[in-house]
Amino acid sequence: MTIRLPLACLALSCAAIGGAYASSFLPGGAPVWAAWGVALGGAGALASMMALGATRRGRVRPIALGVSALTFVVVAGAFGAALLLPPEAPDAPLLLGLPVRAALVLYGVGIVPLLFLPLAYALSFDADTLDAGDLERVRRAARESAAAANPAATPELPRATESAP
Amino acid sequence: MTHWLLLQSATPPAIRQPAVIVVALLYFAAVAAIGVWASRRTRNARDFFVAGQGIGIVTLAIAAMASTLSGFAFVGGPGLVYSAGTGAVFIVLSASITNTMGAWVLARRLRLLGEARGLITVPDAIGARYRSPAAQGLSAIAILVAVVGYMATNFLALGLVIDAMFGTGLTLGIWIAMLVTLSYTAAGGILAGVYTDLFEGVVKTVASVTVFYFVLQVGGGLDGISRAITAVDAAFLGPWGKMPVLTALSLFFVFGLGALGQPHVAHKFYMLRDPRQLKWYPLLMSAAMGLTLLLYVGVGLVMRAKVASGALPPLVRADDATPAFVLGFTPGAVAGLVFAGVLAAGMSTVNSFMNIGAAAVTHDLPRALGRRVGDELRWGRAWTVVLSVAAVLLAQMPGAVVAFLGIFGFGLFASTLVPSLAIGLNWTGATREGAIASIATGLVLTLALESLAFLKVFSLPAGVTISGLSLILSILVFFGVSWLTRARAAAQLDDDVRVVMEV
Repeated sequence: MTIRLPLACLALSCAAIGGAYASSFLPGGAPVWAAWGVALGGAGALASMMALGATRRGRVRPIALGVSALTFVVVAGAFGAALLLPPEAPDAPLLLGLPVRAALVLYGVGIVPLLFLPLAYALSFDADTLDAGDLERVRRAARESAAAANPAATPELPRATESAP
Repeated sequence: MTHWLLLQSATPPAIRQPAVIVVALLYFAAVAAIGVWASRRTRNARDFFVAGQGIGIVTLAIAAMASTLSGFAFVGGPGLVYSAGTGAVFIVLSASITNTMGAWVLARRLRLLGEARGLITVPDAIGARYRSPAAQGLSAIAILVAVVGYMATNFLALGLVIDAMFGTGLTLGIWIAMLVTLSYTAAGGILAGVYTDLFEGVVKTVASVTVFYFVLQVGGGLDGISRAITAVDAAFLGPWGKMPVLTALSLFFVFGLGALGQPHVAHKFYMLRDPRQLKWYPLLMSAAMGLTLLLYVGVGLVMRAKVASGALPPLVRADDATPAFVLGFTPGAVAGLVFAGVLAAGMSTVNSFMNIGAAAVTHDLPRALGRRVGDELRWGRAWTVVLSVAAVLLAQMPGAVVAFLGIFGFGLFASTLVPSLAIGLNWTGATREGAIASIATGLVLTLALESLAFLKVFSLPAGVTISGLSLILSILVFFGVSWLTRARAAAQLDDDVRVVMEV
């Protein structure tokens, strides 16, 4: 998957939020769909930004794509459910200590992504984010750029990176 | 929207209990000791601005959390939850995503760019990415404007808390807050800042977890708190609380995407000793932030439950939620820990701003003008003092002016840095023209709209925030101008920067 997908999704998400904001200036106030625009646009902007950041050599890594899509589904799903479900009665059963719609939003958006995002990042880091070869490529490119910019000077990095303790 | 971010704007109730004062004094002593230790290890500009690029991942994560969560997380935030219910949580709701997102979008590229180019500031990265002193200078101006306002607001808040604890009077309280923070920041630079942030982050986390335990005890668990509130006001615990739906969702978007444009957090990625340790950054940062935000959510809810059940009279001011809870329902030592946490929160945020503000004046603006400052360490210290004094003088202006200075910081950072830095570092098709246009759009729009709103010339419709509008427009301008000038994109990338963007 090329970088165009997250870029297009990010632009679309921003356009959705911008459209929702623009609709708020209408004489009758924001229409019902404006909340959907910001809910889906907000979820889409964060998910596509993650996918954009996880690109390597112009391509989105499959695990990052999957994790970003899952994040969008979880966040948009929680917001969507809260928008669609009717208000609870005061004595309705609680879900993990909160009224159901609040629980869907607070736990669904605030907790569920915590359960998979940091782990997915850590588990895919060596293969998909940064390995020793990448570091060496960067250092070599820096040396070559420095040498090209100032052929008389000894090419040297500003500071060598130490290995992990 | 952003006026909610003010830490504290009115004097909290007097909190002159012996245990509180002892814990606060111990806290000041610990901060001073760290400052002395760090100042002995600060020998050059790299030590001063990027901690000699020698800190580990645990320190980085906790320091980043400490400087992300200002005193708002302990005072203003719980007050907002007390008054607006669930809707107030949307400010921090995206924290479940932003730490991993920041690691993917910014951490690796900034750290590698620092490796390749020896960069020390966020505007440095923008200048290197686009090979553009103008973009570097413009972003430095945006940072400088926001930093001074933020510092003034935080000094005012710290002064109010110190006055409430020690009875110093507000003016002296503000000066004490500034002098304590300045003493270790000017002497030890960001090295002192990072290690005091580490200490302050631990204080905040312990305080938050401890208070949350008392919240559950006092409220009869989350079930008891919810039942007490919904019996009187079901909408308070609706999905959006007392806020309009559009406002709550806008907060999620602005604070979610805007988190990528906060220079005091992004700057810390340069300091990491080994870039491969970034593997654990989201896990550590998310854990630290999640625990520290328990107080934010818990205190406002339990105080509302107590008022709803008739056990307490309504609070005179929402910002009194935290002082009233810890003084009324926790032992003195815990109250002391919480107020030390409030001081810690303010100082850890301010010291980061002092450092990046000084770097903007000493390092970025001269480079944007094609000049270099001879002794960046000496001038960095001098400008830290100048900016701090300027912020303290601003903090003593009428409250509404200080509030105005503080309200646009987050939005200004977001609208000027998210497109040019966060998107630009990951998209080789972005152009210098797009970056400059988006930074200028964010800067002008945020300042103009906030000023007009402050002067009551106009107000936006409910649910539309100035920060959100500026952020959306600056991103769309960035995409639009980059597309129009796309033929120049490839020629504006240096080879080493291209490698950093490809790995």
